[in-house]
Amino acid sequence: MALSKTSGINIEGIVSLVPANINDNLLLTHLSQSDKEALIHHTGIRFRRVVNEENTSIKNLFIKGISNLLANLKWEKESIDILICVTQTPNVSIPAISCQIHGDLGFSSNTMCYDINLGCSGFVYGLHTLSALLSTLNKINARAILCCGDISTQLIQENDQSTKPIFSDAASVIAVSNNTETFSYFNLETNGSGQKAIYKEGNFMKLNGIDVFNYSLTMVPKNILNLLSFADKNIDLPNMFILHQANKLINEAIRKKLLLSETKTPSTLYEYGNTSSASIPLTLCKHWASETPNWVLFSGFGVGFSVASALIYLNNSIHLSIIET
Amino acid sequence: MDEKIYNNTLLFLKFTATELLIPFDKISLNDEFRGLSTWSSLNALVYISRINEETSVLISSVELADLKTLNDIYNLISSKSNGAI
Repeated sequence: MALSKTSGINIEGIVSLVPANINDNLLLTHLSQSDKEALIHHTGIRFRRVVNEENTSIKNLFIKGISNLLANLKWEKESIDILICVTQTPNVSIPAISCQIHGDLGFSSNTMCYDINLGCSGFVYGLHTLSALLSTLNKINARAILCCGDISTQLIQENDQSTKPIFSDAASVIAVSNNTETFSYFNLETNGSGQKAIYKEGNFMKLNGIDVFNYSLTMVPKNILNLLSFADKNIDLPNMFILHQANKLINEAIRKKLLLSETKTPSTLYEYGNTSSASIPLTLCKHWASETPNWVLFSGFGVGFSVASALIYLNNSIHLSIIET
Repeated sequence: MDEKIYNNTLLFLKFTATELLIPFDKISLNDEFRGLSTWSSLNALVYISRINEETSVLISSVELADLKTLNDIYNLISSKSNGAI
């Protein structure tokens, strides 16, 4: 396991973007009413967001999110040192989507840009990358932007009843600065034997639900416990455990294995479904309401098979918003 | 030894009937599970997750592919559980 302790980061703000177009799992065709109700009961997912024709690219969502967040934080583009995009559904793969956005928005040539090709674990991997990089910059008030998300619905075959009711489109843009007064802790792991649990074949994503469940249950609780042990923190310390929103079966199994309360493990599955690497920041936007600074534990897991957890000290004054677009 | 679904075929069948929404008198160990009227990819996942909840045993898709009857599932759970028969 790759355990990592970095100098601290401040998450200054998060803007999550969800398409206004809503698909309802109760309206799925090819399933009986009772099957649809059982599906919603077991996956926890009722509604999914699906992009319309006008904003089908993840780049457009990232750009809207960056513009909104910079305006809200009153950050100048010239002050951004690092821009990292985490996605598996770029509009085009070359050049890097972060470089495309750099050009489109007119960032400074001093802004470091690159992409990370990861799915559901991507937010935590991206946060670790930023955290490590920020501490190396020769600058006191270094700033970074992390963009996460996928247009997963473009990878779903119309008649695929195992992926279609699960995945949803969304993006999150996260503003981060360095904070030398605290530390951040990460546990980053991979089990490539699970590469066929979720993969792309031809134009479409394939998902083996049983294997995703097994890899998640085998790896995630241990990953979280090892992270807490490495950080020398008790499992009671984090104010919240924000898990990647995979589906209710997996998330509940992880929660029960770690003996966590439902109130400490918020969910956005019902209204937003599985939004890939945007799911953790989206859930934070929806549910973070601490009146005081507090520790929060993030855990992302999925395609790879890739697992990453982070223990981060969060301010209570974060700018958080969810925008329908 | 406590009665668990991995060391008591009757309990296992009752558990399976409940999870797969099949009347208990319509199910037997010799049934081929893929032929059960309620077997589907979703119900298979729910069934596997409930087995894990009850026994801590995880059954992979590769293992499941090699199995045919409910008795095969019972034997696999028993062999992988701490209370192996």
